Amino acid sequence: MSASENQNGAPIVPGSPLARALDAYGVPELSPDFAERVLAAAATRPAATLPPLPELRRSGGGGARGWRLGRRIALATVGFSALATAAAATGLLERVGLPVPSAEKVWASITGKEAASAPASAPAVSAPADPAPAALAPVRIEGPIDTPEELGEAFRRIDEVRAGRAETRRQIIDLRIDRALERRREAGLPLPTPEEEARLRERIEQVLVRREGMAAERIEARREELRGRVENGEALTREDIVRPLREEQRMLQQRQRIERFRQMSPAERREALRQLPPEERRALIDTWRERREQRLGGTPEGDGAAAPAPEGTVSEAPAQESPQPLSRPDTSVSEAPL
Amino acid sequence: MAPVADDATLVARIAARDPAALREALARHAGSLNRVAYRMVGDAHEAEDIVQEAMLRLWDNAARLAARHPAGTPAGGALRLSGWLARVATNLAIDRLRAARRVSGEEVPERADETPLADTRIEADQRDAAARALVMALPERQRAAIVLTYYEELPNAEAAAALDMNIKAFESLLHRARAALRQAFAAQGDAR
Repeated sequence: MSASENQNGAPIVPGSPLARALDAYGVPELSPDFAERVLAAAATRPAATLPPLPELRRSGGGGARGWRLGRRIALATVGFSALATAAAATGLLERVGLPVPSAEKVWASITGKEAASAPASAPAVSAPADPAPAALAPVRIEGPIDTPEELGEAFRRIDEVRAGRAETRRQIIDLRIDRALERRREAGLPLPTPEEEARLRERIEQVLVRREGMAAERIEARREELRGRVENGEALTREDIVRPLREEQRMLQQRQRIERFRQMSPAERREALRQLPPEERRALIDTWRERREQRLGGTPEGDGAAAPAPEGTVSEAPAQESPQPLSRPDTSVSEAPL
Repeated sequence: MAPVADDATLVARIAARDPAALREALARHAGSLNRVAYRMVGDAHEAEDIVQEAMLRLWDNAARLAARHPAGTPAGGALRLSGWLARVATNLAIDRLRAARRVSGEEVPERADETPLADTRIEADQRDAAARALVMALPERQRAAIVLTYYEELPNAEAAAALDMNIKAFESLLHRARAALRQAFAAQGDAR
């Protein structure tokens, strides 16, 4: 072995023993009719049903690859936590009890196969039924998603589920507002005038539209990445779709726990926090602070929710008498599927 | 002799469903893709399947590629079809290797010894088998790094792009791949 080859990872020098050994690895020729076979296969290939091209985001060349890559990773990271299929209507929805489908159910809605039974947690209020998995379309998704047609079909089915869930979400919000008004009426509290109520509903709708728009952008970025992967020959597996759902579900559980804390009395909350292991307590408080910052960033007045706080610092905001905070759509509605 | 169309023009013609353009792309790239695929999977039929699938992916995605790299523009000039195809073929090969491992638990597909006789042929086959064993013993991505840089002589930057890695990570991978090759080569020598 030559001296340079003794440096383990050094380039392989032509003519060296290792190079001579490697060069013995011959490659058989392609079959003589190979080109004809490919051309025949292309001729009978079904017309590609590619989705419309997104706007070009960058020029073709240049040394900005690192930035592009970084941006992709950042978008994917942000997107993954917020996207993924219909698992996502958290935030407001966790309060109104819209069940979030399991990863298996979402995958089943994409592939059109039966999901293993995974009962959703009982809703807090009687919510409209979860939209049924989208009807099967002519494109069949067999095994991994590895063609643009299959990916387009998966996106189409996810969009159907998303549309159903968006509608359900609006129905639940209406229901919640109606119930809050009813409770105030029964308690003899002041009610908003019809104009105030209309303004409130309009504001909620605006926030929902804004949230859905932001989610749509993240979803499109994520989809673009998945299209690129399929384009580059990768086969997307169930895990590619389902993994972000699991993460989303973990976050949802954390939020639900915060929600439970919110509903406790200060003394109960203090006690419950004390019972938690220190890491969990820390994580819970961090999550709550994050959510509060997000909320305050969007709406300066805050929502008066009592936070899980370290011992002795539990917030005890009184219930507000104003009719305004009946329902808040600007909790973290991390959206929908890919 | 007709001038050779640049990659962006060729892709635009494929996007327009011109079979002659696909034939031209096959003539230009099928050979190198076959070498990459064969050295990755070690099986001639599998390699042909991979090349065919890569070319059909080009056929399917030509419209998208053409829209991103319009002919006659700087973006079009930046398109390197060989790199795009190498990336597709490498990914397909890695997918197949992983799928095969899931199914059979085997790392390396064994090729049946169909060749007869003659001492020189036997000796050549032994050398070929030894080289194959060296390459096939590498993990998939290390193998791809060696196939792309040593056999196909791609610059590191292009090989890194084919594996969708940044250059530093790729150089580290390549370094490990060479080290593993040398170790396996030394072990072969010891065994003889």
